[in-house]
Amino acid sequence: MDFQSVDDVQKRLEQADYIASKEIATVVYIALATEKPILIEGPAGVGKTELAKAVATCLERRVIRLQCYEGLDESKALYEWEYAKQLLYTQMVKERINTVIDDAASLSEAVDKIASQEDAFFSDRFIQPRPLLQAILSPDPVVLLIDEVDKSDPEFEAFLLELLSDFQVTIPEIGTRKPVTIPVVFLTSNNYRDMSDALKRRCIHLYIDYPSPEREMEIVRLKLPMIEEGLLQQMIQAITRIRELEIKKKPCISESIDWARALLALNTKQLTCETVEETLNVVLKYHQDTKVAKQTLAGIVG
Amino acid sequence: MLKILTGFAACCRAFDLRVSTSEVLDTARHLALVDPLDPREFKLAVRANFAKSRRDQSRFDYLFDLFFHGIRTDSDDALSPGIDRITQGLRKTLSDDPMEQALVDFLDNDPLAFIDQIHALHTMEERPQKIFKSNMGQLSSKLGVMLQINSIKSKIMALLDQGDHGEPDNAGALREHFRERLDRAFALATEEPREHNDALKEKPRATNEKNQLKDKPFSNLTPLEVIEMRAVIERLVKKLKDQVGRRFAVKNRGVIDIKKTLRNSGKFQGVPLNIAFKNKPPRKSSIVALCDVSGSVWSGARFMLTLLYSLQECFARVKSFVFVADLVDITGLFQDLDINDAIEKALGDDTINRNAPTDYGNSFQQFKHDHMNVLNQKTTLIILGDGRSNYLNPQATILGEMREHCRRIIWLTPEQINTWTTGDSEIASYKTHCHEVRTCMNLNHLTEFIEELVL
Repeated sequence: MDFQSVDDVQKRLEQADYIASKEIATVVYIALATEKPILIEGPAGVGKTELAKAVATCLERRVIRLQCYEGLDESKALYEWEYAKQLLYTQMVKERINTVIDDAASLSEAVDKIASQEDAFFSDRFIQPRPLLQAILSPDPVVLLIDEVDKSDPEFEAFLLELLSDFQVTIPEIGTRKPVTIPVVFLTSNNYRDMSDALKRRCIHLYIDYPSPEREMEIVRLKLPMIEEGLLQQMIQAITRIRELEIKKKPCISESIDWARALLALNTKQLTCETVEETLNVVLKYHQDTKVAKQTLAGIVG
Repeated sequence: MLKILTGFAACCRAFDLRVSTSEVLDTARHLALVDPLDPREFKLAVRANFAKSRRDQSRFDYLFDLFFHGIRTDSDDALSPGIDRITQGLRKTLSDDPMEQALVDFLDNDPLAFIDQIHALHTMEERPQKIFKSNMGQLSSKLGVMLQINSIKSKIMALLDQGDHGEPDNAGALREHFRERLDRAFALATEEPREHNDALKEKPRATNEKNQLKDKPFSNLTPLEVIEMRAVIERLVKKLKDQVGRRFAVKNRGVIDIKKTLRNSGKFQGVPLNIAFKNKPPRKSSIVALCDVSGSVWSGARFMLTLLYSLQECFARVKSFVFVADLVDITGLFQDLDINDAIEKALGDDTINRNAPTDYGNSFQQFKHDHMNVLNQKTTLIILGDGRSNYLNPQATILGEMREHCRRIIWLTPEQINTWTTGDSEIASYKTHCHEVRTCMNLNHLTEFIEELVL
């Protein structure tokens, strides 16, 4: 089921509704072949997360997604002890303790005997695996998506290091969990802050930029096959011009698709100043941006 | 192949692009998977391993072009005996100057030493100057390199003229070869790559001339209005504190975190004394502020400092420095005195010589040497200044180093975007290292900024 070559990646991603450039396909191919995590950077909405999902579809794997945010800690990302369960079990086995230490001659012997049983409480039974541990313990190989890793705290990066280089997790009480299967790992970043060198060294890097007009046209055509060629061309040109403006949030691919959908719904045949003005709020998400764009409407329509 | 790769890695390291041995190993493994003769796939595979962030990519591209298309021109075999002879001849006349030797090595297809030295030149720190200030340090050393290139050129020409070159048409080709190489060395010495900074947020703000206090540029305020402004700021602080207080109050409210409560109860024999809640208050950031207090911008600095210190409880820690030509730590003043007094003292006192010409490079350098330890992965560095460095060396690479030590760098400038590139403004070279550059010339801009910072 693995990819055979760069072209194979490109072809199969396209079947999964993702148009990949040569660059994306090459990096995905070499990363998968050598089991390296991929760190994807790029502006918001260029399909970083989509790429991970598309690869999962191609390889028929499940996606385990970990959304990062400030304050995310290991008990939510890696594993957690089930304290409640442990407490319940202690309550239930309270009486049994006598049978263990009954024949102990001295106090220290009794303590030793109890100590030899402590594995019972720190075992897999009481561990609750969180996404990262789930990913390596899953019997079927999965795709692990660590989304917006730049939003997490610097401490959290440290937990990732062991996982990313050796695909293993060390739990102090019971030792190292070796991987059952090796997941394909994607990390995405919006460049809110710079990642540490140690993290970068363990991944290979992919930068996804806004697509070229031709590729964007291909993408819209793939999602909305009934769109007319002339309108599509006009629309993509307009989007490219809007991206050049000084605005707060540049429209991304999903916004182009939304716009195309809106234009189709309005039964538009030709892009004019009026239609652009009416539908501009689909493309631009800030009032201020809309104002800027309205001043140069004629320029945008071309 | 491996030799080329390690050579390129060494070249990258010389230019401060950190490439580890494991990354070279990975690249070698990856190259076995793609077609290394396809230039595009080759570059993609190498880049995915060598340049690990968007910022590094431009430097990588520059080096890649240089290394694979610039420096290593595989010359004709017919020429190589001639080249060898001339470099041998050159070596005999060499002085001990490392730059000169590096240049000859460069001609002899071993560019590493030369690149190393050139990079050191680009990132050179200006030595602290006291009385006469100039930015000639870097320029004059570059000039030295250019002169050395020229002298080697004339030496080569002399060597070419006297020796016999076998066939007569070789002489022209040799001359052409050396001229090309030296031109390249020249270009290397004079150009430097600049990082991509796509994620940079620029927030130029328009001003509407309503002449209300809030819209009036700080620099145009009369003394009376400054006092009036204080009252406005006090109201603003109260409002902000309320909002922030509400955000931090969530700590003791909402859904109980059963697991944590049980864990805490362990200490008290299972009695839940410490109740933990699921809501977590947002983490407080720590702030380091660098304020230019020269005549052109000091009025803005006073209001920003007032706001920062009035809202001190919203931050884990606030450290502040002021500079004109030298950097002064004023954090201590705010611990002992009332905010307004502290600001008057910091700005009005003789703690700092306000008549000296602003020198950003020198101030950054002092910060690097004395105070770099105040930056860590949780600090936000705020720099307030117009970036007008009186044509002194901006030393933007130091700002780059500072970026590696802190979480974010935000640059506030009291000028509008259309003047950022005029005159002695160095914003253009500083902004490649900033996370955000925004205009902050009146109270509205400042409020907006502070709100984003604390909320």
